[in-house]
Amino acid sequence: MTHRVAMDIGGTFTDVITYDTSTATLRAGKVLTTPGDLAEGVFAALDHIDVRYEAIDFFVHGTTQGLNALLQRRGAKVLLATSEGIGDVYRIARGNRDRLFDLHYRKPRPLVERTAIEEIGGRLGPSGDQVRPLDEAGVRRVAARVRDEGFTAVVVCLLFAYADARHERRAGEILREELGDGVLIVLSHEVAPEWREYERMSTAVLEGYTGPSVHHYLDRVEDRFAQRGLRVPVHVMQSSGGLVNADYARRHPLQTLLSGPVGGTMGSVAAARLLQRPDVICIDMGGTSFDVSLVMNYAPDVSPSGVAEGFPMLMPTINLHTVGAGGGSLAYCEAGGLRVGPESAGADPGPACYGRGGTQATVTDANCVLGRIDPDSFAGGGMGLDVDAARTALERLSAEFNLTPLELAAGICDVSNAKMAQAIRTLTVEHGREPSDFALLAFGGAGPMHAAFIATEIGVSEVIIPQNPGAFSAWGMLEADVRRDFSRQFFATGDSFDGTALTAVLDELRHEAWSALDQQGVAESERSVEHAVAMRYESQDFTLSVPLDSEDDPTQESFQPTMRQRFADLHRLRYGHASPDAPVQYITVRTTAHGLVPRCDARPDAPSGPAEPIVRDVVFQGRQMPTRITGRRELAVGARIEGPTVVHEDTATTVVPPGAVLRVDPHGFLLLTLSASEDSPR
Amino acid sequence: MTISPVTTEIIRSALIQAAEDMNTTLIRSSYTPTIYEGKDCAVALLDREHRVLGQSSGLPIFLGNLEECTRYTEGLFGAEVWRPGDVWVLNDSYIGGTHLNDCTVYAPIYSGDTRVGFACSRAHWIDMGSKDPGGSMDSTTIYQEGLRMAPTRLVVDGREQDDVIRLIASNVRFPYETLGDMRAQIACARMGERRLSELFARYGEATIEQARAEFFAQTEKLERQRVREIPDGVYEATGWLDNDAIDLGVPLEVTVRVTVEADQMTIDLTQCAEQTIGPVNCGRSQAVSAARVGYKLLVSPTVSLNGGSFAPLEVRVRDGSMLGAREPAACQYYYSSLGMLIDLIVRALAPAMPQQVAAASYGDSMIVQFAGEDPRTGKPFVTLEATVGGWGAWEGSDGETALINNVNGSLRDLPIEVVETLYPVRVDRYEIRTESGGAGRWRGGDGVVRQYTMLADQDLSLWWERSVTPAWGLFGGRAGAAPQVVLNPGRDDERHLLKINSLRVHAGDVLRCASGGGGGYGSRD
Repeated sequence: MTHRVAMDIGGTFTDVITYDTSTATLRAGKVLTTPGDLAEGVFAALDHIDVRYEAIDFFVHGTTQGLNALLQRRGAKVLLATSEGIGDVYRIARGNRDRLFDLHYRKPRPLVERTAIEEIGGRLGPSGDQVRPLDEAGVRRVAARVRDEGFTAVVVCLLFAYADARHERRAGEILREELGDGVLIVLSHEVAPEWREYERMSTAVLEGYTGPSVHHYLDRVEDRFAQRGLRVPVHVMQSSGGLVNADYARRHPLQTLLSGPVGGTMGSVAAARLLQRPDVICIDMGGTSFDVSLVMNYAPDVSPSGVAEGFPMLMPTINLHTVGAGGGSLAYCEAGGLRVGPESAGADPGPACYGRGGTQATVTDANCVLGRIDPDSFAGGGMGLDVDAARTALERLSAEFNLTPLELAAGICDVSNAKMAQAIRTLTVEHGREPSDFALLAFGGAGPMHAAFIATEIGVSEVIIPQNPGAFSAWGMLEADVRRDFSRQFFATGDSFDGTALTAVLDELRHEAWSALDQQGVAESERSVEHAVAMRYESQDFTLSVPLDSEDDPTQESFQPTMRQRFADLHRLRYGHASPDAPVQYITVRTTAHGLVPRCDARPDAPSGPAEPIVRDVVFQGRQMPTRITGRRELAVGARIEGPTVVHEDTATTVVPPGAVLRVDPHGFLLLTLSASEDSPR
Repeated sequence: MTISPVTTEIIRSALIQAAEDMNTTLIRSSYTPTIYEGKDCAVALLDREHRVLGQSSGLPIFLGNLEECTRYTEGLFGAEVWRPGDVWVLNDSYIGGTHLNDCTVYAPIYSGDTRVGFACSRAHWIDMGSKDPGGSMDSTTIYQEGLRMAPTRLVVDGREQDDVIRLIASNVRFPYETLGDMRAQIACARMGERRLSELFARYGEATIEQARAEFFAQTEKLERQRVREIPDGVYEATGWLDNDAIDLGVPLEVTVRVTVEADQMTIDLTQCAEQTIGPVNCGRSQAVSAARVGYKLLVSPTVSLNGGSFAPLEVRVRDGSMLGAREPAACQYYYSSLGMLIDLIVRALAPAMPQQVAAASYGDSMIVQFAGEDPRTGKPFVTLEATVGGWGAWEGSDGETALINNVNGSLRDLPIEVVETLYPVRVDRYEIRTESGGAGRWRGGDGVVRQYTMLADQDLSLWWERSVTPAWGLFGGRAGAAPQVVLNPGRDDERHLLKINSLRVHAGDVLRCASGGGGGYGSRD
């Protein structure tokens, strides 16, 4: 009997999912996160689920260790060494403003003080040609300063290191020689071998800043695994949605920065495959924020770069769009108009119905008054809701409009749903797609309550609610594959393109990818490697990744026309137009190595059998309607229920409006089919 | 029957989102960094009466003047000229207000057979066929500045007009990029069309009209409340542009006179200098937009824009002045006076709103342009870089260092690795110009020094401003350092420059560009 275990360590709670391979069953658990020592929390959670350590044969987790260090500004003491003349580039940070009507604009506070930046003599040109040799004595002076002043990480970012790394590599050797193993040394070309010195520098600094704490954390987890007789490798989720073992994560800790939230996207990829729905919009609605991400053609939407706390990262990152909309979003009156959010009541005092002194109406209060939340089973029944407080808050606000409290409650939900629908559109428009082509998968505490209404707003006719919606990110980690990404700058125009050079780059990257999968312990039969070339029209900035297939031979004459055609097709698909005759540029080669991980094939739990039918009044379309209230555990595979119905379970409540039909699919997903009528169910 | 506040709010936010969708479509699919990096563009959805239903943030100085283009077209040809499926373009400086590079593309939108509004976007096309690549720094009439288009149909009944498009292509230096950007604007118009007609199909004309009236009124009410909070009075400030790039010894006056009376504000620009021979003039609609930016910065920075915005504001411009230019005034560098007048509105109102204002910023785009033939490829090239600088301090904080100026939106500087890969120059230094921010209780932010070495013979053009009126301080804070550009510093042939058009420079020459700092706030003791 063996177990596969996944854990999503969030800010407040740690979610655990275990899969018992002998019985093919899943179990979910939830414990409080231990912010002081996340490694301790891992074991508290393992103890909570009561699985024998020796029975665990696969372990994966998402951790906020690195992100916490960044958010709380408690990272390493970093010294940054740059090429001479550009030490201030980190502070200049490309000089852009994000808020255009802000006279009091400040950039994010840098992670490295200006006094902790050193310039090193030596210079390369754009093609890696040496303008001046590296000042090795200067590197030794930097090392002396690191030692003397107790820096815990040193980051080296030299101009054109992506084109030729010899100066950076040599600087790294000298630093290692002088400093030994006690100090983390980050070389920019190893972290992000791409052009744009500020972005590469920022990525390398983030790695140096968050690295030691992630490193230390993984050491502790692995040590304790060993002490307790656990022999399986510890896997970690990366921001790209792929898994790596701890050994690699320790060396490239920044890859784990957004470890947690992307689990939900990977869960949606797995659901897409199980349900044969190639395109899925994934929404995660919690108390303060609403995250959207996309699955297209069974693959996550991964962007080659991301941003953390205002700092750019050249690193594959799942594209998550976040807006301030959640259960805690406040409703208020502005110049006679109704507004909902983005300000939130947060966790304290929280919505009025939490009974902790909140008096302003929130989205959760609105749901509460509409009868969509069962006050006795909210959050697993551990937290009774004060419906009267919610009603009082709504009555007070409704006096400012010419509305009854119930009309206002429905209105607050409508406005909030419309805003979330717009956040989804923002992402689909970026891809040149319409949301109606997708299915909608909702998770998180509040997602399943709003999903049907949001789907109607955007013209989606099918909603998917997974099992354990509150722990869906953890489940997603169990369903993700090993993934490693590689990139190489390959700048060429149509005229300067050299097919032999590209072939050499591809061979090199394939080799790297293959040995990376060796290190990850992936069997040869489970491996795949994909290449793509980032291309653009001359003087465009955004590139599109044009995939290569195994038949492509860059040395053939047909290669360039084929690539141009593929690029034009992609451009038209995404942007609605293309210029087949315009000159193109090749910018970067991107290679992804995948290692297939065995899937769970869980049988849904046997239903607990029909319980006493409960019927309660819930407000839909402005009217109280008798509504069936069902526990999710009572629903068997194949069950079919017409709305209005409310399904509650420990971590979430699913609302099925009138006109919608709910079915339980063989894998245990709840599938809601929405009527195609023009009238939106409210 | 009155409309529910819920429906109003849903329609209001859907219209803002529709404009955002248009903006995303335009930026993601444009071909040139001016648009995708500089965000040198703006979009708006208008109703049938040319009032703004929704606008994305876009470039601040394009605030609320896209509607001039549809209104002008209708005035010229009558409302019957609009046809479903048509897309128009206009870039006349005296209508749109800016330089010829700013092309406004607009399309009427229909719900069934009824015309319900317009989708508009304005974006900077990199070259309009002016006498020098990209635009001239010494043009003296608009006829030297390139192709000027009165309202012209690019698309008729859904079909691109090949003749018109070839006419454009044969007048500009970079036709692929230009047509790419034009098509991005057409795609943007289509997105606006789709979103607005969806909304009309869902809610119907009467409901949308009621919601519109309601949220315009909300915006107006909100802005009037804010204006009322400003103490009544007459507030004035004056600054001087260095010159018009032709008569280098003659500074040009920019004066703003702001009158606040109850819930009404008037910004009077009539004292500004006469229209002049150099390319620093702009059309009246652009001066109005810039005044609105100054107003918005202080009165309604977070209020979203619609036809109710600016209701409390009246802007006075004198025809024939530099800000109300008439044909054939040159307009290529129309924005230097506008950046200054935005700063001056803030300065004028400082005594009335000491907490909201900030001292002046370094002020202008500080353009460095190289053009020539790259010996590595044998191909012609032209660069265009704006330089970041210091911003002013305010009550409670130092000003920011190395930030782009207000008329440039969210422009990013060009990475050294990109510059050296694409052009025959080397960037030797890019650093903070220490101590260039004005002293004060709160210090102004510092400017930067960017130093280039030429790797080939080429032509240098510069547009640097604000040496006569560097960034002023407030309430006893000191002014920031003025900008300084030196060719071959320390050599016998050292030259100090600020504005220059196509000066031949040679391989090995060194150009050191130092941008100004921001003003300080409050006296130090």
